[in-house]
Amino acid sequence: MKKMTRLLSLILCMVMVTTMLSACAKKEETVDSKPQDSAAPTTAATATAAPTQAAEPAEKIQLTLGIWPEDTLTADIEMHQGYVKTFNATHPNVEVVPAYYKYATDTFVPLAESGNLPVIFETWYTEPQKLINGNFVADITDILNEYGWTDKINPSIRELLSKDGRIYGIPRDGYALGLMINVELFEQAGLVDAEGYPIYPKTWAELAETAKKIKDATGAAGFCLLAHDNAGGWHFTNIAWAFGATFTTEENGKFVANVDSPEAIAAMEYVKSLRWDYDVLTPDPTSEGWASGFANLGTGAAAMYIGANDAVNQPTQVNGLPVDKLAMAALPAGPNGLQFSLSGGTPYMFSKNATPDQIRAALDYLEVMGKAPVVTDDAIAGMRADAQNRVNNGVPVIQRFPCWVDQDILNAENDILKEFGNVDSKLYQSYFDILKVDGNLRLEEPGSAQDLYAELTKVLQAVVTDKNADVAVLMKTADQNYQSILDNTVNK
Amino acid sequence: MAGTNRTTLLKKEKRNAMIRRDVAGWLIMLPTIILFAFFVWEPLLESVRLSLYTAKGIRLQEFVGFDNYMLVLKHPDFMHAFVNTFKYILWSLVIGFFVPIIIAILITETVHLKGLFKIGVYFPNIMPGMAMVMMLGYFYRPGNTGVLNILLSKIGVEPLLWLTNPKWTIPLIVVTLTWRGAGATAFLYIAGINGINSELYEAATLDGAGIRQRIRYITLPNTFSLGKTLLILQIIAVFQILYEPLVMTNGGPNNASISIMQLVYNYAFRDFNYPAAASLSVMMCIVLIVLSGLYFKATRSKD
Repeated sequence: MKKMTRLLSLILCMVMVTTMLSACAKKEETVDSKPQDSAAPTTAATATAAPTQAAEPAEKIQLTLGIWPEDTLTADIEMHQGYVKTFNATHPNVEVVPAYYKYATDTFVPLAESGNLPVIFETWYTEPQKLINGNFVADITDILNEYGWTDKINPSIRELLSKDGRIYGIPRDGYALGLMINVELFEQAGLVDAEGYPIYPKTWAELAETAKKIKDATGAAGFCLLAHDNAGGWHFTNIAWAFGATFTTEENGKFVANVDSPEAIAAMEYVKSLRWDYDVLTPDPTSEGWASGFANLGTGAAAMYIGANDAVNQPTQVNGLPVDKLAMAALPAGPNGLQFSLSGGTPYMFSKNATPDQIRAALDYLEVMGKAPVVTDDAIAGMRADAQNRVNNGVPVIQRFPCWVDQDILNAENDILKEFGNVDSKLYQSYFDILKVDGNLRLEEPGSAQDLYAELTKVLQAVVTDKNADVAVLMKTADQNYQSILDNTVNK
Repeated sequence: MAGTNRTTLLKKEKRNAMIRRDVAGWLIMLPTIILFAFFVWEPLLESVRLSLYTAKGIRLQEFVGFDNYMLVLKHPDFMHAFVNTFKYILWSLVIGFFVPIIIAILITETVHLKGLFKIGVYFPNIMPGMAMVMMLGYFYRPGNTGVLNILLSKIGVEPLLWLTNPKWTIPLIVVTLTWRGAGATAFLYIAGINGINSELYEAATLDGAGIRQRIRYITLPNTFSLGKTLLILQIIAVFQILYEPLVMTNGGPNNASISIMQLVYNYAFRDFNYPAAASLSVMMCIVLIVLSGLYFKATRSKD
């Protein structure tokens, strides 16, 4: 009996080991079939293998689309299915594989390092330089030149997507921050003019007063300030610019922190007064992030919020604000009349492992979507489908921030706007007007913007939770911290 | 010459016999060993290596010695995180260590509805950790929309700041941890108390000992070594606290609740700076190895 059990356990062990080994073997096989997976030294060998594949034009290629809509957005998926049909008419050799990927910092590196990144994916405005430095994304300079798109990209946005003169992405949308307004709350507080348009604040001082009126009249927060994560610091830099602050300067090729300037301190004192003198913020700014800000605005928990034109679907489609109850105004001016709008671009980027043919296919697909700087019938059809989809879902169809500088494409976009415009353009007038003023658009602070935001966010958290916080001391600490981070990283 | 040959031969035979005897054992362990090697030891050694290099993603670039370690130690948030981690441990001992013991004693002393109470204290453990943390986030909301503030307003208390008061942040997070974890630990103590020879209690009762004396002279001395073990396990666990502060406060306000593990998380998943994350992890690992050494010492002296 004992022998039997022993024999049995031995057999079971053997079975377990063999299944494990065979599982390992299978894994190796898939690794082999995907040459991308290898570590840096061996990519040279596999890279030579890829072009031979691409040399034959009729070769079937796979296009994995990370920009496919997520499962719940059925209308968007239908739209994309239409795009695929149009696309395959001209590209019969390309198999389009939906591979919805919502960029997230905790999933990105594993996907990229295992070679499973979709050919094309969207990422955040904050990420391009990080992804380029990490060698995760493909250099598409030559292909863009071949397509003649390089000069059509808005130069300041192109700069954000480039390193050492090479381009690594193309803009999906440009964005510039503005002041989003919940018109319903303005109406309830009686803050509308004779024609019923909201009377929006033109300076930050006015914003505090307006916010107070709204809070007194409706009980809702007047303004939603973010202080949960780096988005807080990101918004704050834009507020502080209006007060005359500049956070990072350059001396002899080295970055110098300038966080504790009197102007920046004045801006932080202003934010502090929003919490303790006016008391117009949401109950806990330290738990408000980018998305919860839109939720507050959309659901009527806050009347004003800093947001960009490419996020108008957030308060409306996502959080239920009626399409005609959203307005956007220029960000208020500071005490000396300075006024800036932080701008940048939301990029499409391409997997490091994608072959040139796959990247070409991806660009062609963008053309079908109407997101490329070309005006063909397909592209116009794509834009129309997109605009129709927005109308159906209660998303404002407004001007795009010009990420392309090609006049033809701007004209085509204007035609679409005329046909599908579903909101009163006066509600967005001051926002689009200010963007045309010379010097209003301003790019993110140079140096190490995310670290700057992190330091500023800590100060924001301190001033909104502690009535007795000493702003000057906190900003001085932030300045020292930021300088030490700069010296230990980018200034090396 | 021949003699030595014979002895080596004998030795060999002996060794062979030993191997043959052990082979089944090794075979049984083999799958685990392979899994451990692949998923635990190899990554562990690899992250030590990673911490000494610069990297793009996780692809090593060049050897830089202890540069990453210096970078991590010089970061302005490091001291906050370091001090906070010990604050977490301290508060978890003040708040969390005795609660399970008290629960365990109360439950063992209960006569009726014992099962109900047992399930009751274990209940928070069944909930997914993330859901629990987010739920308590609503309880702790400041202003008049937080659940606790709503309850307090019923008895006329002004809304409190809860987590946004930097002095309260860590203790409140520890309360959350305790609320969730105390039940499971209490079970260990219950098992320990049930293991005490019941004759001791009978004898004590006959001698006229009340409940307080029984606890003091029988229960506590007999659970002391178990408590010692659990104490060290608790310190090791709290040392690695991550997701409660990450979700509830994101380390704020103004770093009041940031932990070393969150710094690791930020390096790896916010900045994609894996070498920095690895070097910080290696340093934590060394501290934990020391603590584990203490743990083994404590458990050995128990035996």
